Amino acid sequence: MPREKEELFKDLKNAVVEMDEDQVVVLANQVIEESVDAFEAIDQGLAKGMERAGQLFEEEEYFIPELLMCSDAMYTGLDILKPHLKPTTEGKKQKVVIGVVEGDTHDIGKNLVRIMLETSGFEITDLGRDVPPARFVDTAREISADIIALSTLMTTTMDGMQEVVRLLEKQDVRNQFKVIVGGGPISAAFAKRIGADGYASNAAEAVKLTKTLLA
Amino acid sequence: MAETHTTQEMTSLERISTALQYQKPDRTPVAPLFCGASHRVLGITYDTWSQNAELATKSLLAAHEIIGFDAFVTLVDLSVEAADFGQEVIFPKNSTGYPNFNNFLLKNADDYGKVKYVDPRKSKRMKSVIDICGGLAQARGHDTGVIGFIYGPLGVLSQMRGHEDLFKDLIRRPDRVLEAVDTITDSLVEFATAQIQAGAHSVCIDPLYSSASILKKETWERFEGPFCKRIADAIRDAGGLVTMHNCGNGVYFDAIIKWLNPVAISHAHPAYGCKTWEEHAAVWGNKVVSMGYSDPATTGLEMTPEEIIEDCRTQIETFSGCNGGFILSTGCEFPPNGNLLSAIAMIKAGKIHGVYR
Repeated sequence: MPREKEELFKDLKNAVVEMDEDQVVVLANQVIEESVDAFEAIDQGLAKGMERAGQLFEEEEYFIPELLMCSDAMYTGLDILKPHLKPTTEGKKQKVVIGVVEGDTHDIGKNLVRIMLETSGFEITDLGRDVPPARFVDTAREISADIIALSTLMTTTMDGMQEVVRLLEKQDVRNQFKVIVGGGPISAAFAKRIGADGYASNAAEAVKLTKTLLA
Repeated sequence: MAETHTTQEMTSLERISTALQYQKPDRTPVAPLFCGASHRVLGITYDTWSQNAELATKSLLAAHEIIGFDAFVTLVDLSVEAADFGQEVIFPKNSTGYPNFNNFLLKNADDYGKVKYVDPRKSKRMKSVIDICGGLAQARGHDTGVIGFIYGPLGVLSQMRGHEDLFKDLIRRPDRVLEAVDTITDSLVEFATAQIQAGAHSVCIDPLYSSASILKKETWERFEGPFCKRIADAIRDAGGLVTMHNCGNGVYFDAIIKWLNPVAISHAHPAYGCKTWEEHAAVWGNKVVSMGYSDPATTGLEMTPEEIIEDCRTQIETFSGCNGGFILSTGCEFPPNGNLLSAIAMIKAGKIHGVYR
């Protein structure tokens, strides 16, 4: 790798870690102006920066505000670089359908999981908040997802997770998807009881769980 | 449990008060944060319960009669204060009220100036909580603990701005955030004072972001610590006790004590820096009374009464070295859709396993 390109990627990574959106814009535009491969810039720059931010989060150097700022910087760079990706440079990604179950609108945990999964190389379909069980199943079938990730913060909406599993079974497609669950009131015991494939207590664990289930 | 033996049964209020003073009551007090679930006891919908102080009071009193907990907690939902500042709130028929996430009052960082002082006594939802405190105190304040509730100022602000945007504003626009938190605190000081004046024995402050699961300790101390202190001081000035709740993982007990100095902390997880409940009890159990630590979801929705009693026994034993300074409780609100028999099982556990001899 030429020294200049390496430096550019390092600067991109650092700009993400330092939550510096303006600098990300400058550097991402430099990538395009200098005809540097956009995929490499995303992979070696932006994603590495977010990976480092995730490490700092795990080490309790960064907390949720810092992680959100880093992700904003990363997405700013992605918006600039994505249109310049060559179609052949991206391999097939494993797909995750994620959302907050019906009746619940708390989505910060879900968003953190989405960010961490996305930067770990997964293709994410984010259904947002207050998602009916059937929509998880329909979407997962439509896009041939690998994982269905369900989140809730409320005890009154936990049953929606079980309903997703029930629907998958009813439609005889349960074995086509891995179902993972998380959120404040959720536990490994609850995941087991409803027939989910796994439970994660935080975003970093969710990434590990997803990788393990799809290995 | 060994040590002293009390022959005369205490009232719930005596039991709680004694525990808060690190003296041994007749048995471990039990207060399972039974709030929204009470709507099912009276047979009204959740949205009615959330918006009608008289019916909420009747519901809580009816729940108390059936379950027999030692203290009421007047948590209605976390959007009470924000609603009075002008935030649109959605009230589902059978679940907790919440802000309209598609219509936050503060749409950008320049909107923080929209937050203006609200007099809680002339408001709708905060006044409702004041009235609930008054109704409970009048009916049972002589023998049962009445604990009011206030969402911390930063939490209130998040209900009007959205969590994610607020968290980013802490870094991007700290001065604007601090201005709004200051204004909100002015109202919360009055809200706390009014709850005590209405008859609550204590007000529980919920600074939800004071844990390692959300903010760096220094960040919390900058944006909410001093403001919570003003509220805590107002509670004490009004003659009430300060209690605190945070169901987050890794609550900063040292910072909470520094700024709020509460008599008890209601929590769901061991304090920041403690890996186990045993470690927590050893480090913090004799410094501030713990209210905990049943898992609300598994207690209210999963476990059998027998399993709950056994789980509670473990908790009581974990804090047995704290000279009575422990209140058995759920680590967060008892599930509004939880099994009432589970709450009764917690009370039973206190009677079976919590007796100080």
